Parts: sequence; structure tokens; C-alpha cells
Amino acid sequence: MAIRSKRYQEARLEASTNLELYWWVFMRISGVVLVFLLLGHMWMNAILMDLNKIDYDYVAKRLSQTTWKIYDLLILALGLLHGANGLRYVLDDWVRNPSRRFWTKAVLYSLIAFLFLLGSLSLFNHDFGVN
Amino acid sequence: MYRGREGQWAFYLHRLSGLGILVFLMLHVANISSAMWGPEVSNALMKFYHQPVFQLGLLLLIAGVIYHGFNGLRIILMDFTSWGVRYQRQLWYGVWVLFVVFYLPFLVKIGGGILGGSHGD
Repeated sequence: MAIRSKRYQEARLEASTNLELYWWVFMRISGVVLVFLLLGHMWMNAILMDLNKIDYDYVAKRLSQTTWKIYDLLILALGLLHGANGLRYVLDDWVRNPSRRFWTKAVLYSLIAFLFLLGSLSLFNHDFGVN
Repeated sequence: MYRGREGQWAFYLHRLSGLGILVFLMLHVANISSAMWGPEVSNALMKFYHQPVFQLGLLLLIAGVIYHGFNGLRIILMDFTSWGVRYQRQLWYGVWVLFVVFYLPFLVKIGGGILGGSHGD
């Protein structure tokens, strides 16, 4: 069961398992990191860069640099995990039927795992052929 | 947890924006990964997403990210300080002040682009 407490001390008491407590802590830590990563990401691509000029070459040039690969991989991994766990909280609240909840989760977790694979592949395993 | 009013709105908006961001992230990863099929496919898809309607969507998304982020920081303050819960309502208005400050540049840049009729080539 998801933790509903608003305090760490209470969350520790309420946590049904250690794992549930770790997820609670993870949401806070990844959240703080993501705020900065995403503000930077959006500022760079929408303010410093003209959105309409973003094309294959721009993406390829940026992703040819290791720093941006790591930056984007962090967003991908933390964002998907943070989002998946948030979605789990929502589904636990909204989908009351146990078997329907199980299958909804199974489908969504698979989708997220697939997207992580797809995103990592396009970040690392693809030769963009940049000069 | 909350009894109506601001706290309840903060909670609903947090969930709604969170779900919206997750849906966007999925589309975004799919879009970027199209580069693996070569420049032609990738550029065609990006040009498709440069249409004004998607830029409006992007404005909504950026609003969602900024709100979700700052409200998340508010939640963290409530979790880890002794005074956070007492001032949750004031903190929520603080979130909106920060929201306006950070959202304005995006609104001007992207909104201006839409009004100026810019959509790629």
C-alpha cells in the first residue's frame, strides 16, 4: 500500500515494507534532481534554441557529446522510474478491481521498460554519424 | 489528509500534471528514437510535431512540468520541516509565484512563435 504520510517519521511508521519506504524516499530525491534537470532541458531547447529549428542534425550534434548523453539518460531513467511509481500510486487509488489493477500495472510497467530500452538505445547504441 | 480548499487542488493538479508529463515523456522518447530509422524519418516526424497545435500542447506541458516541480518541492518541505504542513497553503501560493516567474519566458518565446506563424520551414 502506498504511503500517505506527509512526514518522514510517520512515513517510516506507516510503511508496510522497507521497499515501500525506499520508494517514498526515492520520489523526493529524484523529484529534486528532476526539477533542475528538466528546467535546464526545457530552457536549453525552447528558450536558447528555437523549437522550430530542432531537427535530426541538432539532436545528433547534441547527443554526440558524452555530457549530454549522461544528462539525458539521467532524465530518462529518473523520469520513467518517478513516473512509473507515481502511476502506481494513482492506480492503487483508482483501479479497485484486483485483477484489472494487476493487468493494468503489467501492461504499463512493460511499456515503461520498453521505453527505457528504446530511449537508451537511441542515446548510446546508435551511430549518428556526426562530423 | 487535506480537507478541501487549496491542499486538495494542489493534490489533484499534482496528479493530473504528473500523468500528463508521463504521457508526453512516452511520446517524446518515441519521437527522439525515430532517429534510429535515419534522418528522413526523424525529420518528417519532427516537422509533424512543429505544427502550432503541438506547440500549444508543449506550452501546456511546460506549465505542467513547472507546476509539478515546484509543488513537488512544496511537498518535500512539508515532509522534512517542522513548519511545512502548517504553512502548506502559503507555500502553495509561493508555488504559483515561482510558476509565473519561470513560465513567462516560455510563454513569450513559444507563444510568440505561434502568433508569429513560425512552424519550421
